[in-house]
Amino acid sequence: MTRPARTLGHRQAVVVGIHTLPFAKDIGMTERHSGALAILGALKDAGLRVSDVDAMFRYYWENTTEMEMARILGVKNLRMFGEVDYGGGAGPPTVQLAALAIENNLADVVVVWRARNRGSGGRPWASQYMATGQDQFERPYHVARPVDGMAFHFRHWIHKYGWTPEVTGRVAVTEREHARKNPLALMQKSMTMDDYLGARMIADPLRLFDCCLETDGALAMVLTSADRARDLDVTPAYVAGFAMGSGPQMTAMTFFYGDELGATPNRYVAPDLWRNTGLQPKDMDVVQIYDAFTPQIPIAFEEFGFCKEGEAPAYMAEGKNPPYNTSGGGLSEAYVHGFNLLVEGVRQVRGTSTSQVANVKHTMVTGGNVIPTGAVVFSKEPW
Amino acid sequence: MSPLDPKTTFPVPVPDRDTKPFWDATARGELLIQRCKNCGKFLWQPRPVCSSCQTPDPVWTKVSGDGKVASWAVMRPPTLPSYAEMVPFVVLLVEIDEHVRLLGYLVDDSGRVLKTDGEAEGLRMGSRVKVRFHEQAGFQLPSWTLAR
Repeated sequence: MTRPARTLGHRQAVVVGIHTLPFAKDIGMTERHSGALAILGALKDAGLRVSDVDAMFRYYWENTTEMEMARILGVKNLRMFGEVDYGGGAGPPTVQLAALAIENNLADVVVVWRARNRGSGGRPWASQYMATGQDQFERPYHVARPVDGMAFHFRHWIHKYGWTPEVTGRVAVTEREHARKNPLALMQKSMTMDDYLGARMIADPLRLFDCCLETDGALAMVLTSADRARDLDVTPAYVAGFAMGSGPQMTAMTFFYGDELGATPNRYVAPDLWRNTGLQPKDMDVVQIYDAFTPQIPIAFEEFGFCKEGEAPAYMAEGKNPPYNTSGGGLSEAYVHGFNLLVEGVRQVRGTSTSQVANVKHTMVTGGNVIPTGAVVFSKEPW
Repeated sequence: MSPLDPKTTFPVPVPDRDTKPFWDATARGELLIQRCKNCGKFLWQPRPVCSSCQTPDPVWTKVSGDGKVASWAVMRPPTLPSYAEMVPFVVLLVEIDEHVRLLGYLVDDSGRVLKTDGEAEGLRMGSRVKVRFHEQAGFQLPSWTLAR
């Protein structure tokens, strides 16, 4: 395979362990509890032990610090640790930190995870009355939830590109079909376009089924070097490359204030990702695109270069896009800030998805596009 | 201090040294936006340095508040009980003529939030709007009314 163009560390990182606890509206345990179980499950999947772990990275919004988790599990020493901020943008960047630690020989066995009780734990904005920083110009106007911020972007895209409701309805229906093949997915009921169109508005123009679920979930991933992975009884998912990006004038969820309304940080992530992996959109056999909201899918196909700007509706209607969000995604499997997309990306490379695509060589996984974000590519073969 | 009554309690701005001039001005019924004294660019949200040319201390400058609708959302299920009597209402993203975008309620000429989805008022992308101020929780929130 083509060697990536970015400056490489000496070793390639490989995902060797994944684990997902059953998703629920109420998982019945704390996030430190479910997170610990997810990590132990991923280590078992890899055939590794806690005593092998020497680095951990977490989402900044994780309620359990990597120190507390290392303490609970009994990790002897973390040679590298850290966190990535900004909610749903943090998934691929957290994997990026893990991969960089391995590539640069700073760590051997790295754990990343996401445990969140967003189903049972209440809605964050229900008690936020003091609006500081950027919030003071937004929250008093009822612009508090992620869906409120997305509504302004969505209406802009509808207007600029002439989207009909069916453009995003197709995303909701497609992901539901994937979910119904996945026993782990929370949404098992079928959904038609009429169901989508008839659902109530949440933050108009966003309808109910444009929005992701509210889920309790815990998932973890274990990475190591390609050399060490050869000694393990696993199907490796090689980390081909990654990129992060903020774009200009970023305010998470509400970046309305920059020069170009509607352009997301993926305008910056995409060229870096393709340069850093040495790959192109046409090389992606299947993709996992961050989907807190349906409009993020067509915009991502455009901004990552799968089709040209403004062409996503026709591109997707004609079925020219690679299969996406094959576990049901955030819309119909579970919403855990996109970590389920990372796990599903690994499953597609392993050949164990419930909506398996044939002969997967490469899959892209993206983070949220209306926040600082990133993307990663997992591959079947090494560099 | 008595516990907050959720039915009447709204999120309130917490001004800091960088943002206080803005809120002080809205209390006087004026809209001030920072402008770089070197390159002349208007800046939003408030900041201590011009993001275009890095000159410190942009100057708070009175603007007319005239602008056009860049996007909007219609709020239906209320996130907090205090908004329950208001829904449905429209929050506008307005691009003022100085080319910065701000959020604000869609209000009538007197600054009262309209109970509407914008249809009856003929709200459109690009509709011209004029600034008004809506009092909420002791703050005068910049809001916009459709220009006639």
